[in-house]
Amino acid sequence: MPTILAAETTQAADATGVFALSWLLIALPLLGAAVLLLGGRRTDKFGHLLGTAMPFAAFVIGVVQFVAMLGRDPENRTFSQHLYTWLPVGSFQVDAGLLVDQLSMCFVLLITGVGTLIHIYSIGYMEHDPDRRRFFGYLNLFIAAMLLLVLADSYLLLYVGWEGVGLASYLLIGFWSYVPEYAAAAKKAFVANRVGDFGLSIAIMIMFAQFGSVSFDGVFAGADGASEGALTAIGLMLLLAACGKSAQFPLQSWLGDAMAGPTPVSALIHAATMVTAGVYLIVRSAPVFNGAPDAQLVVVIVGAITLIFGAIVGTAKDDIKKALAASTMSQIGYMMLAAGLGPIGYAFAIFHLLTHGFFKAGMFLGAGSVMHGMNNQVEMRRFGGISSVMKITWITFGLGWLAIIGVPPFSGFWSKDKIIEAAFVGEGWRPWVFGGAALIGAGVTAFYMTRLFLMTFHGERRWTDDVHPHESPKIMTIPLMVLAIGSAALGLILGPTNALVHWLEPVTGAHGEEAPVLSVPVLTGLTLLLIAVGVAWAYSLYVRQPVPEVAPAGSVLTRAARRDLYQDAVNESLLMRPGQYLTRFLVWFDNRVVDGAVNGLAALLGGTSGRFRRLQTGFVRSYALSMFLGAALLVGAMLLVRL
Amino acid sequence: MSALSVSATFAAAEFQTPSIEYSKLMPMLIVFGVALVGVLIEAFMGRTGRHQVQLILSIAGLVAAFVSVTMLAGDNQIAAVGAVAVDGPALFLQGTILLLAIPGVLTMAERSLDRGGVFTSAGSSTPGSEHERVLTATGVTQTEVFPLTMFAVGGMLLFPAANDLLTMFVALEVLSLPLYLLCGLARRRRLLSQEASLKYFLLGAFSSAFFLYGIALLYGYSGTVRLSGIAEAVSSNSGSDTLLMTGTALLAVGLLFKVGAAPFHSWTPDVYQGAPTPITGFMAACTKVAAFGALLRVLYVGLGGLAWQWEPVMWGVAILTMVVGSVVALTQTDVKRMLAYSSIAHAGFILTGLVATDTVDPDTGAVLGVSSVLFYLLAYGFITIGAFAVVTLVRDAGGEATHLSQWAGLARRSPLVAAVFTLFLAAFAGIPLTSGFTGKFAVFSAAIAGDAAPLVVIGVVMSAVAAFFYFRVVVLMFFNAPAPDGPAVAVPSPLTTVAITLSVAVTVLLGVWPTQVLDLADRASQFVR
Amino acid sequence: MNPMNYVYLSALLFSIGAAGVLLRRNAIVVFMCVELMLNATNLAFVAFARMQGNLDGQVIAFFVMVVAAAEVVIGLAIIVTIFRTRRSASVDSANLLKY
Repeated sequence: MPTILAAETTQAADATGVFALSWLLIALPLLGAAVLLLGGRRTDKFGHLLGTAMPFAAFVIGVVQFVAMLGRDPENRTFSQHLYTWLPVGSFQVDAGLLVDQLSMCFVLLITGVGTLIHIYSIGYMEHDPDRRRFFGYLNLFIAAMLLLVLADSYLLLYVGWEGVGLASYLLIGFWSYVPEYAAAAKKAFVANRVGDFGLSIAIMIMFAQFGSVSFDGVFAGADGASEGALTAIGLMLLLAACGKSAQFPLQSWLGDAMAGPTPVSALIHAATMVTAGVYLIVRSAPVFNGAPDAQLVVVIVGAITLIFGAIVGTAKDDIKKALAASTMSQIGYMMLAAGLGPIGYAFAIFHLLTHGFFKAGMFLGAGSVMHGMNNQVEMRRFGGISSVMKITWITFGLGWLAIIGVPPFSGFWSKDKIIEAAFVGEGWRPWVFGGAALIGAGVTAFYMTRLFLMTFHGERRWTDDVHPHESPKIMTIPLMVLAIGSAALGLILGPTNALVHWLEPVTGAHGEEAPVLSVPVLTGLTLLLIAVGVAWAYSLYVRQPVPEVAPAGSVLTRAARRDLYQDAVNESLLMRPGQYLTRFLVWFDNRVVDGAVNGLAALLGGTSGRFRRLQTGFVRSYALSMFLGAALLVGAMLLVRL
Repeated sequence: MSALSVSATFAAAEFQTPSIEYSKLMPMLIVFGVALVGVLIEAFMGRTGRHQVQLILSIAGLVAAFVSVTMLAGDNQIAAVGAVAVDGPALFLQGTILLLAIPGVLTMAERSLDRGGVFTSAGSSTPGSEHERVLTATGVTQTEVFPLTMFAVGGMLLFPAANDLLTMFVALEVLSLPLYLLCGLARRRRLLSQEASLKYFLLGAFSSAFFLYGIALLYGYSGTVRLSGIAEAVSSNSGSDTLLMTGTALLAVGLLFKVGAAPFHSWTPDVYQGAPTPITGFMAACTKVAAFGALLRVLYVGLGGLAWQWEPVMWGVAILTMVVGSVVALTQTDVKRMLAYSSIAHAGFILTGLVATDTVDPDTGAVLGVSSVLFYLLAYGFITIGAFAVVTLVRDAGGEATHLSQWAGLARRSPLVAAVFTLFLAAFAGIPLTSGFTGKFAVFSAAIAGDAAPLVVIGVVMSAVAAFFYFRVVVLMFFNAPAPDGPAVAVPSPLTTVAITLSVAVTVLLGVWPTQVLDLADRASQFVR
Repeated sequence: MNPMNYVYLSALLFSIGAAGVLLRRNAIVVFMCVELMLNATNLAFVAFARMQGNLDGQVIAFFVMVVAAAEVVIGLAIIVTIFRTRRSASVDSANLLKY
């Protein structure tokens, strides 16, 4: 058992000095959103500039705080800022307060830093959209909510941010809602997220019932002496929440469809930040999970399944954004797996989250740049040979590609390799299964990312006749370059020195050195070998042979993968059908069909919205009868309880 | 006023003037006085300007009554020879009702959405007749609604303050009778409106008969209708249990009918749908506040000693109400009807807090069951008034467009209205930073403190179910394409704008910064006995 | 005579009234049945007043009569209006609002 040096031992200091400005981190982008959304057309002229300035200002504050934090002892880097007493219900009281510590600092820098870059990129990307101002308003709203999520000092306030990012993401996915499929995608994201949010609210309820508190301090203090059963229940509910938000198995299906939104949204929300909120939740709840090994095991299983699942789906997608989405799903699977491993993995989960934030955001923006030059074409079979016309996009995307597949010395190598090593630590069957999954995942990742890269940038040109690809304007390529530098170098800075692990130690707890079941060099060698095989195979398939412009029928597995491994069919039979039967059961007769738009929505409820509610006959006498029977029931019940 | 005073004078064989503390009854006296003046205006004033005068008078009366409530704050005594309690819960609820009635009256007075206002020119004219056409052509507005509303408000003020069951019965009728009429006065869709009125009236009269028989049985059990007297009889356990139990159950029928709890909820959807929308909003908010106040007082003051018996029954009612409201609402296609089922579900959530009973918070001394319900009612009332006011704005040629399919893509037509309605729906659903969340949080934590955790679990599950149908509307408004012949969003006069703005402000304020009001509810949670 | 018998009688009348509400179609008759229920209650009040030895019950009966009269005014107004519209006093014909 590794020694756990958990968060509760470090005392949070009251935020002073630069840390007293923490509220500004949230307030600034929120102000931006308010001005842009309430100001209306008047703010069209400068909307995008204001929208970019706000997250940048927050980023500056974040950097100053980070530097200030570096100047203090590791034990004294936690600050809490009490804003006000939010819900004083009896003796039970919830304060609205912020918690700035090493973990939230990582996120603040990621969100504001990558966020600012994506805002800058969007200035160019959305230039011709008449609603660009509104778009920036939503982006700022998202940044504010996401910062609230990671800075909250209680689960309840975290839940506010959690709902807020959800709201912003629906608004952004459905930003082009005049296209029906986009609206449908927003709806799907909505439903999956509601299931997740339900998990979070139940978890909060259990915490409240068990510990009488929902603040991190209170819950973690209570978690020390709590029964394993309660902690497992809380853990599983938190996992459900994480699955919804982070598109983990079995709630993963919405992420691919969410690509309907504008590409900067995919980069910011569905790659770098929001979808990683689930990982944050689990790492933040370390004291809960440390006391619930069963819940941890489930987290690891979910992570392992998702990473393999996402990777397989990624191999067959021809839509560049959907392939990237599948890859995101898979990479978050890695993070979940690491987070489920306990103290040994928390820091690596965050490490991979940060590097992934850079290289995946970079690649999404790169994909956006390609689409920008190709008349919004997303079909990779119509790409090919773009490297010669879009040099900057090609190079920056290439760096992201090298980073994600884990070629040393790029970022992904450092973070992913650590997760694979950590997965191989343990006894019995677990290291072999989970480590094996992580290892195989690395190989498949190399294959599908190479496929994506080669199909897009190399090989012969399979363009449709009407496109004339050109490099994107500077305002779009500069963020690409910055992100590419991050993709290349971040791992090198944080990895070999173990800087991040030490940085996070006060929050996530330290763990002793444990050797994996296979020695580290062997594992690294195996990983690199698999990566090489994946790359080579993809090369032989997609460069050595011509890529057909129409997808071949493919094997059973390819076809299944193309259809997201039939997840929609499974969802329908597991989630919707029983719902349908339940609704039908509640219905007495059925012969009423509701028209038009309502039927469209009814998909949400399983398509049976049109038939129901027959008890409400409209006859006043039958109402009187139900009241009479109710009265009789009440009298009977009262007389019965007396006995 | 009270039967007791009369019997006391008989016993003394010499008539003594009962002492009435008029100052303590000031809020009710003001409201009833304004109502009577309103009737005189109807009788003696010319048509021109009557509308403005009535509106100003009503609003002034409501504000004055509210001021007098605030001046009574902190009082804790029984007035009017035992008939009326002037205590924390009564004053809090009276204040709530008056505050809610103000936006309620404002939306009723709206005349720029529909020529001549939302009410028919003459309730007595037959729909489709020549008489009606002539009246419509002249653009006459009926202004009787103002005094009627004031009478209803007066009854609502008395209802939660009634300290004996006879006063409570009279208050029940005083608040109900005007509402029956108001339901039938819509300008558009008069058949539906009249049907709503008829149904509400018949079922309301039916339920009040049960209520009254319950009073009779409790009187037979204890020999008094004073709540404290009944409480004494319960604690000394004199008299027949059968009378007590049956009486309690029948009394509960009448009150549960008014709050719209299952299985006495069946009138709610029909009446809410058919009634003129401003009336629906007023009724949904204020009646619920008043009726829950009365229910609290009866169960806590009169029958507190019987809590062991009524608690399990109330558990059942709460669960059934939450389930029926949330589940049936899932498949509604009419906005008003959906909100009606949602109000049923909310009655269930409030009942969850109510069964926390006398659990007293050790720190603040607040009675959790009472304070949480008080807060929830205030929060819920404003959300409801606001939501129904928004419904009045979405119109097509035939009047209000209440079918959900007509709301598709509303955000494209009017982002502001869609956003405001989304806020109210989010508050209904209990999303944090809205008053609905704070309210749910309060009642659920009260229920947990009162050892009703299973009830809370069901409550949370049902909130999640309910969230689906609220957000279905949000999805519809934002993510669906508008129908080509869809409704437009009408620009209201300042009256409705003020009402909606007020509701939005309260909803956000009670979500973000509820401290003061929660404290106030805590301090107001002690019943005088 | 045992005054309890009057209570039983009142319960019987109350039940007859309730049954009438559930069974009769004519709105006027339904309404009269509600009135029957109220008057059954009056009987109970008076009987209980006798048993309890105070006058409260009797006084309450007067209150109930006044309230019932007010209810009649409102009720008849509503019923007559809807009758003029629909040319029918059947409560079952008012059936537009449902489900």
